[in-house]
Amino acid sequence: MYLVADINVEICAAKSCKLCTQYCPEANTILYSEEMGKDKGFKYGSAYVAVDRCKGCAQCVWVCDNMAKNNAIKMIMIDQLPKAALTDNITYGEKSTTAVLVSPTV
Amino acid sequence: MSLDYVKFANGFEKFMPKEYRDMVEHGPFGKKVSVSQMGSFKEILEEHPMCAGCAMTLFIRLAMIAVPNPEDTIMVGTAGCGRLAISQAAIPFVYGNYGDQNGVASGLSRGLRLRFGDKPKDVVVMAGDGGTADIGFQQVLHSWFRKERFTTIMLDNEVYGNTGGQESGMTTRGAVLKMAPLGKKFEKMDMLQMAKVAGCAYVATVVPNNPRRVESVIKKAVLIAREVGSTYIQAYTSCNIEYAIPTDKVMEDAKTVENDRYQFSEYVSDEAKQYLAERYGYKEFLPKPAAPAGAIPNKA
Ligand SMILES: Cc1ncc(C[n+]2csc(CCOP(=O)(O)OP(=O)(O)O)c2C)c(N)n1
Ligand code: SF4
Ligand code: SF4
Ligand code: SF4
Repeated sequence: MYLVADINVEICAAKSCKLCTQYCPEANTILYSEEMGKDKGFKYGSAYVAVDRCKGCAQCVWVCDNMAKNNAIKMIMIDQLPKAALTDNITYGEKSTTAVLVSPTV
Repeated sequence: MSLDYVKFANGFEKFMPKEYRDMVEHGPFGKKVSVSQMGSFKEILEEHPMCAGCAMTLFIRLAMIAVPNPEDTIMVGTAGCGRLAISQAAIPFVYGNYGDQNGVASGLSRGLRLRFGDKPKDVVVMAGDGGTADIGFQQVLHSWFRKERFTTIMLDNEVYGNTGGQESGMTTRGAVLKMAPLGKKFEKMDMLQMAKVAGCAYVATVVPNNPRRVESVIKKAVLIAREVGSTYIQAYTSCNIEYAIPTDKVMEDAKTVENDRYQFSEYVSDEAKQYLAERYGYKEFLPKPAAPAGAIPNKA
């Protein structure tokens, strides 16, 4: 078993700084959705992790804890994830402002 | 090399993997994307086998976003960790023998100019510190003295990472590595000074814990190399394996090293400043307005 990053949408959407999307070493692994979070009544969208691409380095945890000071990301065993985003379920918006997650795998 | 290569071959669209379709439909080609949009468009870089948490990986990811015209860019690399990722991207990649990258890039950039004239085709070399300052040193220096118009980026992890931890010219004095167990006896090479002496039009140091700065430095370096001359970027991109940096502390290390010995520095020649201001509207390089006539100088 191995660890992957998991972003708490409620905590992230309160701040939604997008720092982790810029600091994850892997491309297209932390995505940002304008819709996620808003659909739960938050003002902003949220970041989320495509777990099939995550290498488990936890750099995003450091960035969210120390730079964003928001503690929204935790490392979780892949089989303990409540919901998993996979590259196959992600579609990009027309204006390059959002990457929408359709039906996360449970 | 144009937007023409970023499309589906007739009849093949439905057979292409999702990542390829995303690249054609939502990639950065022909658009201006920036690091602030990361996570919302399909990036040029794909999955690759570099280590988890490697700062060099992050730098390469940022570089692929920063190049001003990805559809008109060719990357040149050599042996070392970086090529494992640079080769897994939708930008053509030329891989020569270890250390010959600046020779290959010289020929390539001259050939592209013959073939395409004034249409900008950008050549960007990305190679390790060993590839740049040791094995490729002679070709690197000569390409700069000849003022070859392409960008050289050193991925400086201060070690031979790909081969298990030998010291390089860029390793700091005293550093103990698996294959330098007594500690390095000599100083880190001053490649920045050498680049200036050799006549580079732009020389900058950067650390990936500032993505916007990485983006801005790479853009300037590539634009200047189109017409003015050689440009050089030296990026601190730690090797978390050979320096035993826990992966969640890689950015903390980058910050410490930045404050200690890798402060941001940027040299832009006068010609390059004028070029960036006039051609690309860089306001910070516009000549300062002359003091109005009759103004009283501070000192006589
Ligand atoms: C002519 C030749 N000699 C030696 C090698 C073996 N080799 C492959 S990568 C490498 C070291 C790479 O170090 P560096 O350039 O600093 O890049 P890093 O892996 O640290 O990113 C060596 C010695 C080679 N491929 N070709
Ligand atoms: S760094 Fe934290 S708060 Fe900022 S976008 Fe990422 S998860 Fe959300
Ligand atoms: S753990 Fe590492 S690879 Fe995974 S999302 Fe976070 S920064 Fe990216
Ligand atoms: S060996 Fe070092 S430089 Fe190479 S990929 Fe791994 S962490 Fe990065």
